[in-house]
Parts: sequence; C-alpha cells; structure tokens
Amino acid sequence: MSLDLPDNKKKESLRTAEINLKLSEFEFPPMQDVLLIGRRAPIGSESARKMSDALSPDQYEIIPLEHQFFEAVIVRKSLLTIIPREKLLPIVLEEGAKISPENLVLKVHVSVAVNVNKVVDLD
Amino acid sequence: MINISEIMENNPVTISPYVSVKWACEIMEKHRFGGLPVVNDGLIVGILTSRDVRRCHPNRLVADAMIKNVLTLSPETSLWEAREFIETNCIEHLLIANESKLLGIITKSLLNLEFGKQVDTLTGLYRSDYLYYMAARLLKEGIEIAVLFIDLDDFGVIDKERGHVTGDIILKQVAEAFKEVVDDNKDYLCRYAGDEFAIVTSSCLKDVRKLGVILLDLLTKQQWPNGINLNASIGIAGGRRGQLRPGDERRTVSELINLASLGSARAKKNNARIVFVGQVEVIEDEI
Repeated sequence: MSLDLPDNKKKESLRTAEINLKLSEFEFPPMQDVLLIGRRAPIGSESARKMSDALSPDQYEIIPLEHQFFEAVIVRKSLLTIIPREKLLPIVLEEGAKISPENLVLKVHVSVAVNVNKVVDLD
Repeated sequence: MINISEIMENNPVTISPYVSVKWACEIMEKHRFGGLPVVNDGLIVGILTSRDVRRCHPNRLVADAMIKNVLTLSPETSLWEAREFIETNCIEHLLIANESKLLGIITKSLLNLEFGKQVDTLTGLYRSDYLYYMAARLLKEGIEIAVLFIDLDDFGVIDKERGHVTGDIILKQVAEAFKEVVDDNKDYLCRYAGDEFAIVTSSCLKDVRKLGVILLDLLTKQQWPNGINLNASIGIAGGRRGQLRPGDERRTVSELINLASLGSARAKKNNARIVFVGQVEVIEDEI
C-alpha cells in the first residue's frame, strides 16, 4: 500500500533565511579610556595586554590590582597625564564594583574637564 | 643521600602560556595530570593546576590562569628537603629546574611514596638516609653535631642460634627502648643497617657520652627473649670537631658516620663499650 499523497494535497516545505546587514565603523581603539578586567572574565590581563599592544601600541598602561572583583585595569596613558592615577582609579573602581562584575570586562568612558577659576587683583 | 633527580619524572608534558585554558584542560584530562608546567622559550614561566582551571573561564589564556611565582628546586635537593619544602609551601606539584630550565616534575603523592620507603618496616625507624639529611641540616645551620654508632654485639650468633624471628623481635624491642630515651628535639635516631643503629645529636659532648651510657644500660638491664644477654658497642664521633668546611656538609657527615662506625668496631675489639673518636685525635674511654 502506497502512502504517497496526490500532488494537489502535498504541502510544500520551504526553508528560508533572511539576511540583514548592519555596517558601522569599528570603534577604535575598542578599549576606549579604561578597561576593568574582572577576576573571572573570559579574558585576563595578559590577553588584554596583547590586545592593546597589537591595536594601540604604547597608548595603554596595564595596572595589576589586588581587588575583590578586578584583576587589572587598563588605562589610556593620555588620560593619566590629565589626572593622576591615584585620583582616577578609586573613582573608577568604586563605580565599577557596584555592578558586581567579576565575570565581566567593563569598558569605561571617562571624560575629564579641568576647571580653573582664578581671581586677579585689579589694583 | 637520595636526591630528587633520582625520582623525578623527566621530560614532563608542558604547555605554552598563549593557549586557552580549555586546551590545557583537554591535555590534563588526556594524560590525567593535575598540573602542567607552563614553559615559554624553554624557560618556566608558571604552573597551571586543576584547581586554577576550575576557577577561571575556559576562554582565558593559560598566562591569565597560571600561578606565576612558581617555586622550583634544584635536582640535587634531597628527598627530605623536598618533602619539607612541599609541606611548608602547601604545593602539590614540584618543578625541578636549573636556572628556570625545566628538568622534571614531582607530585606530592610520588614524593610521599618514596618517603615511605625510607621508613624501616620492622622497627618503624627511619633508614640511614634520614641520618645523613638531619646531620647535614644541623651542620648547615651551624650547629655542632655528634654521631653515635651503636652496633649490637654478637647479633649474628643470636640469629644463628635463636633464629631470625627472635632476632627480629629483639631488634624491634631495641628500637622501642631507644625511642623512649632519645630527646626528639635534639637526637635523631635511625636503623642504620641490620643490627646497627645510629643517632645524630646536637647535644654537647658530655651529654652525648651520658646518652651512650644510658643506651648501653638499657640493653643490659632489659629482659630479652629466651634470657638472651644483649650488649652493644658504641662509637661516637664529631663532638670534638671545631672546624666545619662551609658548603661541604654532606662530606663532613659521611666522614663523621664513618669515624663513628670505626669507633664502634674499635670498642668491640678492645672490649671498651664506648669509644670517642675525634677528627684528629682518638680518645678511648673505657667505662
């Protein structure tokens, strides 16, 4: 006994794929200003160092940390010429730690504006 | 003295710091290793253990998961020093290296297995290797030492006339008796060979002599199987040594043990129960 259906009863099986493209400029360098490397993140400080050395040689400084969540921080060197690391790092780490980011690599955009206000004697 | 080059695993499997932890895990599972030395350009840069890989993401580089301040020992290190080193530093895998060049690896379990062989199963005392180690260690610490070499008299006759089982019972009993009187903080007792025992001690000469007398008295006063009378001859060396050649402790120890054993032979020959032997002069003291 044949189980074949008549042609007019057959349903057509059709598999399709829809392709969408979204093109944008590669953010360069991808690390931006500060990268916080979580202790259990998929990449560690050595990987990050290799990445920054390859993509932006001599532009980033890797600072190993003894921190609850982060094993290292990568900072754009030019940023450290504006604000000392002792001032910058505690702020970045304090805010980064609030995300409980042990498994993450956090990218931080830092904007520093130096305000100067001087009073001069007009006499 | 046994050193770790005699027991280490030569040419161990190593891994590069620039491969993934996942890859390292596969190698560890394949070979059933609990730890892998990490080597770059022929030099040790770290060690990766199963504990390290459990704690980190498999995508990581080995360089980001390994222990970087890796502890190594030279191949000339004694078995005893290696065991102490492993226990002090709480490590499971010990790398043997020569100036960062990996030569071999020893696991804690292998070391313990080898260490077990250094205990005499009959008496429960350490074998002679222990004596060499302790003596060399004390000398290295600048402590003057003495060696007592105790040779049981006519033990071959006891074995022949009363049987080896009786002989073994006596040896066990002697070891127990000696253990009771030695001071664990300064006297280190071992079964040197068949019917010979030895003690390295940091006691002063006067106390060493006293210890020798106590040991001999123990033997003569104790009840032995089948009413056997047991005696021994003791040679003592080292108490009079004033000079130590720095860095040559092992040779000095060998000389001391040899002098002490010759002393016991001299005591036996001359019926002088204890013979003191110095490096330069020999003073016989009949008690």
